Amino acid sequence: MEDPALTFGQLLERHERELFAYALRLSGQRADAEDLYQDTFLAAFRAWPPPRRGNERAWLYKIATNRAIDRERKAKRIVANVDDLPLAAPRRDDVTLVDLAGAIETLPVGQRAAFVLRKLEGLGYVEIAMALDCSEEAARARVSEALKKVKAAVA
Amino acid sequence: MKMTMDSALADARERLLARAKRDGLTTVGYDVLPSPLGALWVAITPRGVATIHYGEEPSASELRRLIRVYGPGIVPDHKRSSTLARELDQYFTGKRREFDIAYDLSGLTPFQTRVLNATAKIPFGSVSTYGAVARRAGNEKASRAAGGALNANPIPIIVPCHRVVGSNGSLVGYAGGLDAKRRLLAIEGAEVARPSQDGAAGAAPYVRGLGPGRQGPEHADGGRRP
Repeated sequence: MEDPALTFGQLLERHERELFAYALRLSGQRADAEDLYQDTFLAAFRAWPPPRRGNERAWLYKIATNRAIDRERKAKRIVANVDDLPLAAPRRDDVTLVDLAGAIETLPVGQRAAFVLRKLEGLGYVEIAMALDCSEEAARARVSEALKKVKAAVA
Repeated sequence: MKMTMDSALADARERLLARAKRDGLTTVGYDVLPSPLGALWVAITPRGVATIHYGEEPSASELRRLIRVYGPGIVPDHKRSSTLARELDQYFTGKRREFDIAYDLSGLTPFQTRVLNATAKIPFGSVSTYGAVARRAGNEKASRAAGGALNANPIPIIVPCHRVVGSNGSLVGYAGGLDAKRRLLAIEGAEVARPSQDGAAGAAPYVRGLGPGRQGPEHADGGRRP
């Protein structure tokens, strides 16, 4: 069916779940994740309309990632709250959730975002590049670097 | 405390929408209400009910009208729909004959607005014809155009286009399907098999239902309340 124009509600209903999961995985804490989710959608509503049709998802990830990086720079280090980790956990996993979440948490925020977007959110590299505002090649490099570190940490 | 993703997200969404509202970013609240005729997608603006759509998703043209008038700040809002939900429920269970909630026809043409306001005056339990509605909208030759305006009625049930039938008493058509039209008229006890006589000069514009106590009170103000 024709999709005439987008409303805030449609954007929210289509993408809020994965953005909230992303925020949880990036921050490791529910309170921070909620702030990040709210800031992301409020920023999107203020910056309306989305830059290009069909790219709303990558646009939201980009806003969320930039906000997360800003926060992290201000707050320096985040300590994950163990109670919140099951919320952030991937569904299928061989290693324990705590191990994995701990490993992800030690990554620098840019690599962490790349890793979460690729391995947990399942985005394609084109979308990851848009979300991280870098080339596709750089996105691949970041994911691969992050993967190496995570593997080493949970080995 | 163990929280599920769903409840955490529901909390977060509620707080997000409260913030967006405080910041003046949102304008219209929508919801999907259950009814005996199936799901209804409804939208409430600052002026009143702007949309009741048969189905879980709004039509493209309905959404375009809302965005044109109110911008993109259209968000899910259960609180805002509660008055409408209550009045609809009372109507469907036979406990309400008139709606008190205000309605909003912003964005429609003057002719559409006149047709729908004339339709809103047809009393509970009565039926009228396309020709009579056109005449009351100021153009008695425009019964076909009146039919078009009623066909695009954004607020069925509240603006009771189900009370408008063909001059021979046939149901003609309805956005929610003819069965829905029949059921609404049955709830009201309206008699539809009887052709209207309102083509005659000065004839009463409405055909009353025959059931006892079916004298629906006429709206005094065109149905639009501030």
